[in-house]
Amino acid sequence: MASSSQIQPQPGAGRIAAAMAGQPQAVLIVLLLLLCGAISLAAAQFYSLANIIAILRQSALVLIVAAGMTTLLIGGEVDLSVGASLAFTGCVAMDATNRSGSVPVGALAALAFAGAVGLFNGLVVTRLRVNSLIATIATMMILQGGVYLYTREAVQNQHHLAAFTGIGAGYLGAFPIPVLLAAAVFAAVYIALRHTLFGRYTYALGANPIAARLSGLRVRRLKLAGFVITGLLVGVTGLILCSLMNAGQPTAGRGFELTVIAAVILGGTSLAGGRGSLIGTLLGVLVLKVIDNGIIILRWNQDFQMVVPGVVIVAATWLDTVRVRRRAV
Amino acid sequence: MLSDPHSPALAMQGIGKQFPGVVALADVDLTLTGGQVHALIGENGAGKSTLIKILAGVYQKDSGSIRIGGVEAELRTPRDALRLGIKVVFQEIALIPEFTVAENIFLERHPVNRIGSIAWGKLRADAKALFDRLGFAVDPGARARDLPISTQQMVEIARALAHEARIVVMDEPTSSLTPKEVALLFTVIRRLKSLGIAVVYVSHKLDEIFEIADTVTVLRDGRHISTKPVAAHTQDSLIQDMIGRRIEFLFPRARGPARSDVLLSVRGLSTKDKLRDVSFEVRAGEVFGFFGLLGAGRTELAKAIVGFDPIRSGEIAIGGQPLRPHDTRTGVALGIGLLTEDRKTEGLMLEQSVQHNMSLAALGGFAVAGFVQEARERSAVQGFVDRLRVRTPGLDRPIRDLSGGNQQKVLLSRWLLRGLKVIVVDEPTRGIDVGAKSEIFALIDRLAGEGHAVVMMTSEMPELLGLSDRIAVMANGRITATMPRADATQEGLLSAAIA
Repeated sequence: MASSSQIQPQPGAGRIAAAMAGQPQAVLIVLLLLLCGAISLAAAQFYSLANIIAILRQSALVLIVAAGMTTLLIGGEVDLSVGASLAFTGCVAMDATNRSGSVPVGALAALAFAGAVGLFNGLVVTRLRVNSLIATIATMMILQGGVYLYTREAVQNQHHLAAFTGIGAGYLGAFPIPVLLAAAVFAAVYIALRHTLFGRYTYALGANPIAARLSGLRVRRLKLAGFVITGLLVGVTGLILCSLMNAGQPTAGRGFELTVIAAVILGGTSLAGGRGSLIGTLLGVLVLKVIDNGIIILRWNQDFQMVVPGVVIVAATWLDTVRVRRRAV
Repeated sequence: MLSDPHSPALAMQGIGKQFPGVVALADVDLTLTGGQVHALIGENGAGKSTLIKILAGVYQKDSGSIRIGGVEAELRTPRDALRLGIKVVFQEIALIPEFTVAENIFLERHPVNRIGSIAWGKLRADAKALFDRLGFAVDPGARARDLPISTQQMVEIARALAHEARIVVMDEPTSSLTPKEVALLFTVIRRLKSLGIAVVYVSHKLDEIFEIADTVTVLRDGRHISTKPVAAHTQDSLIQDMIGRRIEFLFPRARGPARSDVLLSVRGLSTKDKLRDVSFEVRAGEVFGFFGLLGAGRTELAKAIVGFDPIRSGEIAIGGQPLRPHDTRTGVALGIGLLTEDRKTEGLMLEQSVQHNMSLAALGGFAVAGFVQEARERSAVQGFVDRLRVRTPGLDRPIRDLSGGNQQKVLLSRWLLRGLKVIVVDEPTRGIDVGAKSEIFALIDRLAGEGHAVVMMTSEMPELLGLSDRIAVMANGRITATMPRADATQEGLLSAAIA
């Protein structure tokens, strides 16, 4: 594969084209720049600090879960229960904080609940050998119904702890806390995928599960880890979301799993497993969230928030196959 | 199409093709005559696959010309090739598993009745008529996925007739056939000849070429080396053309006699559906060969003793340690590993780099606190690439770009890097050509010489007789005979395999 270091310097447009051919994320980067350029021409407030922070905060929520989903997809599995789990986790977090009057207890409850959902998914997939698509759809249904057994309506904030609100709305220096959390998650998962045994084994598992087993890898444990990690990251996001909404909303997170998977696929991760990158996922999240934001500040019909990303996914995936073909032949 | 009856069925002239960094073909000619079998041979990376993919319309030539029946032709897509009468039967059969034989044959042109719906009765009758012309009986209503590979191949050939193909290309058609099925295939090929069809036969098996081909073209490093009538060749002269040097010994034996310490012991091994009471021992420095017909249970045995497939009863010990629990993780830890017969689906991570493919089983050894020390990994991998002379443009190149022989070296290195006591190789030279084969043989010999125990499953008799110290024959999941190589004859092995 031509790495960027091997590309000879060339003048002007040729150089850009050559750099694009070597960069798997080229299409997304160009797309993102074009989107930002076009929206800011139409609405100058796009570049206001408040708007940029809003985009980053929205992106942070998706990115945290998408980091886990990228790991799962690379390993050849998928988790469709993340949206339902997100809503349930928010209710659990708010309820636990109300009862204990302690933010750490609420946070731990959120992580424990969502982590347990991940563990459950992982066990169903690895022990009962249910296909992960089916297993996690089932989990999604269980959670969507289960949350109403747990609470008929939104769990309101009765504790009024400033620290709880700070998780979603607070700042550390100039940076919103959710964005810092997302950055930390991004860095950790990036390093895990690129430089650790866990990451390399995950790629191997997705690329060829038989070869992975023959090589003595602990295939089941590896899959289980992917589901638990994703679960824990849903816990983090559930906590942030519940803090931002100042309530545990049983209806929150509808369709969230689709946004997450769309971002990961847009970022070039293969549904078939074995191939993908977290950088791609980051770009995928940003593209989707900039589109969302653009539709809002341009005052378009909000229904376009579903339509446009759908079109973008098809277009970007197509452009990427064209790029790969150019390079290969 | 107007064509001159005296012009060749197909003339490819000065064909050139480049891939980034590689010249795959340079100035290659190939001329086919109707009613003749033209063998195309060459080592790994000689350009055979590229040439037939150009013929199939899968790749586009960069230079040269293709004339079909004397008329200049452009083959831009597989559809173009089919339309111009070229049918390629690839190694990986391209039937639709859920469709019937008849539906597969007429996939592109279902016969329809007056109201435009598919005429199912006619479909079956037409399919049956085609098989009659081929001298071969297949139930047109059978589903493709229920048929053995050999029959699926016949269906592919029938598709060629359905398209009125004048040129049929077969890529390694016998690589997964039993001797009986090969004989049947040859009968069908002779039938194609009698129908005036030009057949291109790509194979690594020289004895087959002497049996079936009229003319043979040798490619080497993307260049045309020779085209001669088969009668003008001896086995030696063919090999010499292929590799550009003479192989004195296809099976060099450099190692000494086996040592006394038993590295693998299998006692009374049975599985749920195949193996029955299998017992044997393999010593350090020994190559223990398993022979058997298709379905005898060799692959099942290979997968059971490395811990991949579950066993029902019996004892497996590696270096004196029982394989318990019975899984691959324990197997690898004790020092047993399998080089699988099916490189693509069970061995390779096709999209991943040479380095990542090679280091997979040994990666834990390069890690400190869970972090892979990439510099150490890389230099170890580079060491094996050099030692085994793996031909690759770079360690970061996806392994799919390597030839079969070089892929096999990488997979063997996966285990060498890990350091095993016992290595089980299942059909180690499948889909690999002569030059690379002898390199793999030399490697297996060297492994045994270094004190490994090697278990080799093979259906290639010369390979078995050339490399093994002892030979066991399997039939119906049992060992029916065990003999030292000195006592083994082809007849003796076969009669034990049929027993």
